[in-house]
Amino acid sequence: MGASIRHQLQPGFVLHQRPYRDTSMIVDFFIATHGRVSVVARGVRRAKSRLAPLLQPFQPLLVSWVARGELGTLTAVESDGVPHTLNRRVLISGFYINELLVRLLHRDDPHTELFQAYLTVLQQLTGIEHVADPVQQEEQVALRIFETKLLNELGYALILDHDVKSGAPLQEDALYHYHLERGPVAIESRHYSSQGGEEIKLHGSSLLDLARGAFRDHSSLRESKHLMRAALGVHLGRKPLHSRELLLHGLQPAPPEKTDSRSK
Amino acid sequence: MVDRSLIGRLVEALRCLPGVGPKSAQRMTFHLLERDRNGARRLAHALLAAADHVGNCRVCRTLSEDDVCRICANQKRDHSQLCVVEMPADVQAVEQSAAYRGLYFVLMGHLSPIDGIGPDDIGLDHLAQRLDGGEVKEVILAANPTVEGEATSHYIAELARLRGIKSTRIAYGVPFGGELEYVDGGTLTHAFAGRREV
Repeated sequence: MGASIRHQLQPGFVLHQRPYRDTSMIVDFFIATHGRVSVVARGVRRAKSRLAPLLQPFQPLLVSWVARGELGTLTAVESDGVPHTLNRRVLISGFYINELLVRLLHRDDPHTELFQAYLTVLQQLTGIEHVADPVQQEEQVALRIFETKLLNELGYALILDHDVKSGAPLQEDALYHYHLERGPVAIESRHYSSQGGEEIKLHGSSLLDLARGAFRDHSSLRESKHLMRAALGVHLGRKPLHSRELLLHGLQPAPPEKTDSRSK
Repeated sequence: MVDRSLIGRLVEALRCLPGVGPKSAQRMTFHLLERDRNGARRLAHALLAAADHVGNCRVCRTLSEDDVCRICANQKRDHSQLCVVEMPADVQAVEQSAAYRGLYFVLMGHLSPIDGIGPDDIGLDHLAQRLDGGEVKEVILAANPTVEGEATSHYIAELARLRGIKSTRIAYGVPFGGELEYVDGGTLTHAFAGRREV
């Protein structure tokens, strides 16, 4: 058993929590200076716990804990500002980001820049009001920017400025194959559509947009989404992201057309 | 070494209860054997009967020994109101205090994407069918006031909206008899957002 180290009042957020023993929880925090930290929060499932209301996702916190091996012990939590109240459906995007971090961040590996990116994406998501459309454009943009930063911080940055075969800068109107292990390679137009396959085909403009974090149109945003999904998929492995599934299918419940489906 | 005697097995069995460690399990065992053999028999019979015969209500999913629980079967209750809660204990809480005369739907949990708990795992397919039935005119959302509970409520509100059914949510706020100074920030934020004219 390693020595125990006491950490005081570090800015952080709850990513996830799960019940532990009768009255405790294991909480995964994202701490600016320590990355992902798992601690036991003792007694927070008791009726009178004063910490429980604070231990919610998207609430800025100051976290104190004692680190001892893999699993530390929470000693105190204070609020560090107003919670980011994500608007209903946008909540699922918030869960999606948290799920990405839980799945991809290693324990006790500091990511100060990613923490800034996390703050930024939460602020952007907080501003989104409308819930009419399935997923809003500004929400998509915020998620893509965060995903790019996440890959950068994890050391798997995508190549978004040059053709890895020729070395030439990307051309806006050219088409590229994105090989996930290597990077973009220009497709000569006469070969295009010849193969489906695993590779991702997209326009130079979409890659450049992703690098800039600003998207010129829907098609650029859509192509970037496909690329990011594949690129994250490499690191996420075979287990699906549950919040993405919920985002895709879950929150657009089919309109009541039960009579049709029964008659089939 | 594992104690295979009858006493040892009883101590071990009692430890499945929440909050019961070896010491309390031993105390319970000796109490039952030394002072209250009848109580022990009653407990054993009650446990066995409940474990074998309590299932889930076909209509609201709460724990019930009948196919349809007493609340759902009660024709005097208001069948146009449906209160959605997370656990059977929540039904008890509402029954004991609020003057609520409608029916319930028990989710047995909440949406928790990171844990892989999706809509069908908390019976929302079942709830959707119930809403399609046309009897329900108002859905009262009473999931726990947590971020996951909020996501769950939103999902259910959407199910209701698509069917033209009104949905309401129980108010968040300062506990009755409490003091503002000691209320946590999150609750105060919600209490202010949900303030109303008096």
